[in-house]
Amino acid sequence: MKDSLPVQARIGLRAGRRARARDKAPPGEPRAIGYLYLLPALLVYGAFVLLPLGHSVLLSFYEWDGITEGTWIGLSNYQDLITDSQTRAAFLHALILILFYSILPVAIGLLLAALISRTDLRGLTWFRTILFLPQVVPLVVVAVIWSYIYAPGTGPLNEGLRAVGLDGLTRSWLGDFSWALPSVGLVGTWVQYGLCMVLFIAGVQKIPTSLYDAARVDGAGPGHEFLAVTLPNLRNEIAVALTLTIIASLRNFDLVYLTTKGGPGNATSVPAFEVYNQAFEVGQVGFASAIGVVLALIIFAITGVVNRIAEARE
Amino acid sequence: MTGRIDRAVNYALLVGFSFVALYPIGGIVLAALQRPGELSGFSIPRDLHFSNFAEAWTQGHFATYLKSSLIVSVSVVVVATLLSLLAGFAFGTMKFPGHRLLFYVFLLGLMVPLEGIVIPLYYDLRALSLTDTYWALILPQIGLSLAFGTFWMRAFFMSTPRSLIEAAEIDGARNWSILWRVLVPFARPAILTMMVLIFMWTWNEFLLALVMVSSENLRTAPLGLAFFQGQHSSEATLLAAGAIIVSLPVVVTYVLLQRHFIRGMLSGAVKG
Amino acid sequence: MARVRFVEATKRYGDVAALEGLNLTVEDGELVVFVGPSGSGKTTALRLLAGLESISSGHVYIGDKQVDDIPPRERDIAMVFQDYALYPQMTVYKNLAFGLRMRKVPGPEIDKQVRDAARILGLEAMLERRPRQLSGGQRQRVALGRALVRSPQVFLMDEPLSNLDAKLRVQTRVEIARIQREFGTTTVYVTHDQTEAMTLGQRVAVMKDGALQQFDTPKTLYDRPANLFVAGFIGSPAMNLTEASLDREGDSLVARFGDHRLRIGDDTLARRPELHRFEGRKVVIGIRPEGFEDASIVPEAPPDRRLSVVVDLREDMGSDVYAYFSGLPAFTPEATGKPDDPADPTTRSPDTATFIARLSPQTHVREGTHAELLVDEEAIHFFNPETGLGVNGGRIR
Repeated sequence: MKDSLPVQARIGLRAGRRARARDKAPPGEPRAIGYLYLLPALLVYGAFVLLPLGHSVLLSFYEWDGITEGTWIGLSNYQDLITDSQTRAAFLHALILILFYSILPVAIGLLLAALISRTDLRGLTWFRTILFLPQVVPLVVVAVIWSYIYAPGTGPLNEGLRAVGLDGLTRSWLGDFSWALPSVGLVGTWVQYGLCMVLFIAGVQKIPTSLYDAARVDGAGPGHEFLAVTLPNLRNEIAVALTLTIIASLRNFDLVYLTTKGGPGNATSVPAFEVYNQAFEVGQVGFASAIGVVLALIIFAITGVVNRIAEARE
Repeated sequence: MTGRIDRAVNYALLVGFSFVALYPIGGIVLAALQRPGELSGFSIPRDLHFSNFAEAWTQGHFATYLKSSLIVSVSVVVVATLLSLLAGFAFGTMKFPGHRLLFYVFLLGLMVPLEGIVIPLYYDLRALSLTDTYWALILPQIGLSLAFGTFWMRAFFMSTPRSLIEAAEIDGARNWSILWRVLVPFARPAILTMMVLIFMWTWNEFLLALVMVSSENLRTAPLGLAFFQGQHSSEATLLAAGAIIVSLPVVVTYVLLQRHFIRGMLSGAVKG
Repeated sequence: MARVRFVEATKRYGDVAALEGLNLTVEDGELVVFVGPSGSGKTTALRLLAGLESISSGHVYIGDKQVDDIPPRERDIAMVFQDYALYPQMTVYKNLAFGLRMRKVPGPEIDKQVRDAARILGLEAMLERRPRQLSGGQRQRVALGRALVRSPQVFLMDEPLSNLDAKLRVQTRVEIARIQREFGTTTVYVTHDQTEAMTLGQRVAVMKDGALQQFDTPKTLYDRPANLFVAGFIGSPAMNLTEASLDREGDSLVARFGDHRLRIGDDTLARRPELHRFEGRKVVIGIRPEGFEDASIVPEAPPDRRLSVVVDLREDMGSDVYAYFSGLPAFTPEATGKPDDPADPTTRSPDTATFIARLSPQTHVREGTHAELLVDEEAIHFFNPETGLGVNGGRIR
């Protein structure tokens, strides 16, 4: 039974034999066990994702046809990437497609978010199911559907134009040098806008009504309401939408392969397609790897930037 | 008053946009039911020709393709789920040195596109004589799914009340029991969401199949459809039927479990 | 023997000490309550005992075994959590049986134990239900049952009543006390509610900022608080505090504060010889609200133990009357841990304090009028203004 020394005095006495201030794990928790649980996943993931990633980088420094011996060429592939007009075109197309796959759907989603009243949304589940459907359907099937829609002869688009007397506007959409890329882009818009809508509707419903009331009391019109209340509070959802859709726009191999194969000419060449094309058709494996690496880097960069912006403004 | 106008506007908007989303899909369903050779545009068929489906099925060997897709998808889902549970449990409940770094390593996989790794995967697997086997399709997709699965289960386990795990510890449960007897039953909806998403992504995968598979028996459904399109590009009704056959499993699963799909996509996308 | 001992138990997170040098023994079969505001270290002490946290320095003993490095499942303890932590996907039966199953107890034995516990707690009708189908009170009983079923050496309870409504809280409190006495299991109970502590605990450990303030029976804590914190924490409404100067007048000591003058009785002095050291200096005087009475209804009330006050507010509570009066010099040490308690004058900053007196319903006092309040000699407490320690108050054990 100790005497009632003041607390301060007792602390002082013990200062000399103070234990190391490091947080120990609770008793009986051997740390190694965590590694054991992690191991299987790490092995498979490492072997089939990380290793190939590294291998991609390695391959990108070689010139190789996939059959004979390859030769080391350093950063030459990357130089070619930048200088070669074909590859530049592919990346330019990717940029344009981002407009269709990402910017446009986000805008459409925001439009809906702005117009929709937040109060009465019964039956929303059904609408969500339908709006989200394009995301679920295999891209291959999407390609088949839209190939048909764009078909010059009996495709519904041209049929529709003829039906309203706009015969002059009909064309071979996917075979037209100027229209092929936007046609492909529009497919992307169709696939992605539902996702954005569902995201933004969910986000809008989370905004407290009090914010809108306050804005209204301050005399804000609907446009101002949107800019001052809706938009800022959808920041996270917009970031998510942008990230997902931009990644989708860069990973559109399936669609291009099955609709245009990069054509006509190079009108719809995109990096994702070029990776496959250069490696397995043209026989430039090293170059294809470089494109793949750059594609991955772009995705990393975009994900990082978009999320940084979203977090920074919080 | 404004309530009713609001509601009308809402419905108008939602119906409009839903229609646009549904139109191409609905159209193709109708097209598949048309008399072969008479297809033009999207129109209501005069009579329903379900025979198109039977025709496509046999001509397109979709039985084989669907079987192949099923084998691959189920394998990936089962193994990826198992490994994600283990890894997510470790990340979500234990603190071991380097756990943050290791988690970032997994997070990387969420951003790695298949296009970035498909080339070395092909040549490496070819060197191991594994191309044109189910392994070539299953193993890489498990790997990629693990990035999402680990992230997803970790997030879930981290949000579980700590006291639940502590109560189990005091009751005498070791880690293994805590995971399988306490946490997993509790996590069933989250696990289902994860499985459903991995299933969808695996079923829909095309590029990997295109690169790895050459023999017809191994073709997955999307790949099979691509070949089918190559052979029957002028027979639109047949193509439409084939497209529907290929998308049916995923779409049906989606409609039945759409709550899980959407919740998973939306919340899983908000990284970290 | 399930005696629990903390010896210099310390828990640090980085540079911050959540618990500093706790020395305390809980005797076999005793129910000890750890009480204090949040951050006081009470929960930390419990978690150290449970083995849910590692001890930074010092030791913990259960029975005669040092358990510092032993994991929770090997300590033969059972714990009731604040949020009950029931296994959501298991029936009540399986919840109760879980701990026994983990210890490979044979089936029939498990069944017997589970049903016994269910009977004691009135859960028999609910054995096949799931936690989400139960009310808060029922869930609480399942949590208790889960602990009972294991027949451990020590019960640990982490604020088990906080999530219940007031009426249920009282009922369950009585249940817990009854069960503990019936089973005789050593119990360590943590709460922030001093009423719970005073009614449940055979001995109570008052904690603040990671340090033990006083460990004693409830009565001793009430009668002889060791320092200002304990004095202000125990008892509701809180003790009134003021700063007074202690002067000698003739043979006796007189406390002066504001316009008031209280003669310190000989008995009081005799019991507190140290008080003489404060002669001519300032001392903190504490008088519990219960220590006042309306002098006009007390026959032969001594004149030199009265305060002449103007009543600011009168609250009729039925069984008591609370009278508020002000104008006394305030003593404001650091807050005694009760934020925003209107009854606690020490958490307000102005120079004058408002006192509360708890009077009998027969009192004649009226708002805005003058009244004479008698101070019970036994109810005057003294504290050192610099250290906060009681002058011959209780001893920290």
